[in-house]
Amino acid sequence: MSEVFAGLWRNCATLAQAHHEILSIVGLSLSVSAVATAMAALVGVPVGFAIGLAEFPGRRLVITIFNSLMAIPTVVVGLFVYCLVTSQGPLGAFGLLFTPWAMVMGQFVLGTPIAVALTISAVQSLDPRVRLTIVSLGAGRIRGAVTLVSEARFALVAAIVASFARVISEVGSAMIVGGNIKGYTRTMTTAIALETSKGEFGQAIFLGIVLLLLAFSLNIFFQRLQGTRS
Amino acid sequence: MALRIAELSLVAGRVYAIVGPNGAGKTTLLKLLALLERPSAGRLLFCGEECWERRRRLWQLRRRVTLVEQHPLLFDTTVARNVDYGLRVRGVPRAVRRERVAQCLSLVGLAGFENRRARALSGGEAQRVAVARAAALRPEVMLLDEPTSNVDEPSVAFMEELLRSLNELYGTTVVFATHDLTRAYRVADEVVGLAAGELADLGTENLFAGELKWHGEGCWFDTGKIQVAVLPPAAGVARHMSIAAEEIVLSRAPIVTSARNRFVGRITGLREEKHTVAVSVDVGEVLRVRITKLSFQEMRLAVGSTVHLAFKTSSVRLF
Repeated sequence: MSEVFAGLWRNCATLAQAHHEILSIVGLSLSVSAVATAMAALVGVPVGFAIGLAEFPGRRLVITIFNSLMAIPTVVVGLFVYCLVTSQGPLGAFGLLFTPWAMVMGQFVLGTPIAVALTISAVQSLDPRVRLTIVSLGAGRIRGAVTLVSEARFALVAAIVASFARVISEVGSAMIVGGNIKGYTRTMTTAIALETSKGEFGQAIFLGIVLLLLAFSLNIFFQRLQGTRS
Repeated sequence: MALRIAELSLVAGRVYAIVGPNGAGKTTLLKLLALLERPSAGRLLFCGEECWERRRRLWQLRRRVTLVEQHPLLFDTTVARNVDYGLRVRGVPRAVRRERVAQCLSLVGLAGFENRRARALSGGEAQRVAVARAAALRPEVMLLDEPTSNVDEPSVAFMEELLRSLNELYGTTVVFATHDLTRAYRVADEVVGLAAGELADLGTENLFAGELKWHGEGCWFDTGKIQVAVLPPAAGVARHMSIAAEEIVLSRAPIVTSARNRFVGRITGLREEKHTVAVSVDVGEVLRVRITKLSFQEMRLAVGSTVHLAFKTSSVRLF
């Protein structure tokens, strides 16, 4: 245990020298996860709204599927995306394997079911009078949809935050399709996995703390946002 | 609640009250009139036009009608954004919207509430904002479901006056649901009774519309055909009066009585009931009088007979 703390201290002491590499890791983690989350939100929120508002046969089954997909193992997603982007795969020609874009794809697949399922939940928990009021006041489909989004905004932000939290903390998919290439596809989680396997616990814990701080920052931001509601 | 209404016509520019107990179908009827629910059978016409024939047209017709629900939902934003919502979706310019919001909030007694959070308002305030939101659209028809249900007692009179104002200021046809018959007659030009989904006779006999008149030492209710001495109402205004058929004394001979209302008329109709006989007497207005069968036989009444009627001012109920 003392080795762990000594390693952690060494890392703090050498932070100044290592800051460039750490910043690159943190920057890549944030940018890949942000892009993946944005894409997941762009797809997931409208899909979630459509499923949440529409009545169609098999709707309950669709909702169950999306709820189940929220817990899909990251390595399975990594494997699935790997099959897509590998040179023999349908997207092999684009040379995406072991690039940040492949990681974005993996995280998009992970984040979308969360965005969809939590948006469905947000829509279902909306007061039914919202839709009635919108129609009664003469809003068309688009204006009505904008109002619905506005009324569900806090739950939607929670859905997007949950989606981001899921993708930034995943390691399986990023490792498989990103390859953990130093300075190119190394993220915080893949770096932590690598440092741990090397026995460099101090470095791993340091990155873990950075990841936790990011999570805390997100939570504080979200709570402040919720606070403005009351 | 299923409705079985053979026919119901509402004339533009009037104030209607739909009266009935809980579960009578008042809310369902209002939602049908607001074109928010499609009738499962029958036809719904708006200014002679079939409402549910074409989807595009339905949307246009909906914009001419607005419903204020019993527990209205205000959007999670400011009062001003709520009130101008309908105007925004209609593309009304910002300056006009701002003016209309101020005007409507002032109308409902909430001037200066523009920047308040709508969800932080009390139930009564929220109800008024919902009315202002509907009024801002200047709809041809405004439907209100139990508009005084969330309002505290001192504000009830204000809300009732507001309904009349909406009608008088903008010519809006106002249709409101209530379970309070007194309120219905006090505010509305016409009252529609509803029970178990069907149009129902409210059981109010000798009900007349008219206006109060003050002359001499007394207060009178003028129906346009007869004048009836009444006790001055506490509210100072009344649009309807009713006289219970049992409260009217009927006689073949002139009646010597302290009752201030005395009329002479001819019998126009007789209807035998279980223990009584309902006698219709034309005294300018047709008054329904209920007497026992024994009295009926003793007086040997027949259609066309001349009779004298009398009732006290305290027997006249004002709305």
